Amino acid sequence: MDRLIKFELGRLNIHLPKRRISLRAALSSPQPQILTKDGGVHALKREELEFLSKILSESDWDKLQLPIFISLEPKLGKGAARIMGDVETKVVGQILKKEKIGSELIIYRPEVAVLRRKLPTTTQYFFVW
Amino acid sequence: MAMALTVAPTRMELIKLRQRIALAQKGHDLLKDKMDALIMELFDALRRIQDSRAKALEQLSKAYSALSECMAVLGTLETMQAAREAKKDVQLNISTRNIMGIQVPLVEFRDIERNALARGYSLHTTSSLLDNAAREFERALKLLVGLAELEAVAFALARELEKTKRRVNALEYILIPRLKETLKFIMMRLDEIERENFTRLKRIKAIIEERR
Repeated sequence: MDRLIKFELGRLNIHLPKRRISLRAALSSPQPQILTKDGGVHALKREELEFLSKILSESDWDKLQLPIFISLEPKLGKGAARIMGDVETKVVGQILKKEKIGSELIIYRPEVAVLRRKLPTTTQYFFVW
Repeated sequence: MAMALTVAPTRMELIKLRQRIALAQKGHDLLKDKMDALIMELFDALRRIQDSRAKALEQLSKAYSALSECMAVLGTLETMQAAREAKKDVQLNISTRNIMGIQVPLVEFRDIERNALARGYSLHTTSSLLDNAAREFERALKLLVGLAELEAVAFALARELEKTKRRVNALEYILIPRLKETLKFIMMRLDEIERENFTRLKRIKAIIEERR
């Protein structure tokens, strides 16, 4: 049973990318996509990339790494999630109209829903344990 | 009441059991987080399906009324002839995206709405009513493709949700209570052993004192 639980926990983050790509690289690619740890392909929607490029200055295009991680940590409490990274928090803060503190931003379930609705392919859940 | 597991009531087992409970609790919390996120995604997909379906039906009704109008003015045979001549290819780009380990389709399309020249039928023998009907059907097709994508997402999410819910329930209602019950049993047994030892020592002490 313990092995099963460990296996399940190990599988939780299998959808994460092997390597993240910058917004500039994604914009310049004819088919923007990311390879995931399980060997799958995660395509990024061009309209989302264009939306992100509009809300960020061009100097930030290299700094924004995609997909943006929405970290779900049980220690944060039920429904809370953490966004990390300077540019990532800037983007999320602008979308949710929320002020960031330092280089991280704590968001809650309704905000996660809004964020996922706006950026379904350029954000990914990340389970921290 | 959950049944306790059969283990030897030793301190070593107690330590191991505490570790197992911590792991099971962590697994439960994370899977519950995943389940909540899946529910949120599913509800969002369902809401979008509802909107998308309403829009698609409305657009289809517009398209069919435009087609009826076209058939009435241009004639059924001429309209059907033009439909046979029209290009039927639509360029769709189907890739996948990943939602918490679930591969779902991502459909992107360009140029579903074509101009009259790109449709392939003769402009010379048809009227603008046919162009209008074709345009309305192209718009409906766009909405239907979007709807199909959303439905595939919702099905995949629902299947994964069912699996995750089963795991969360197994941990919450079977495994964790069973482990806790076993922990309680070992602690009670160890307390009992300690009390027995204490009483035995007291008895031995009393016997030794009596002999003196």
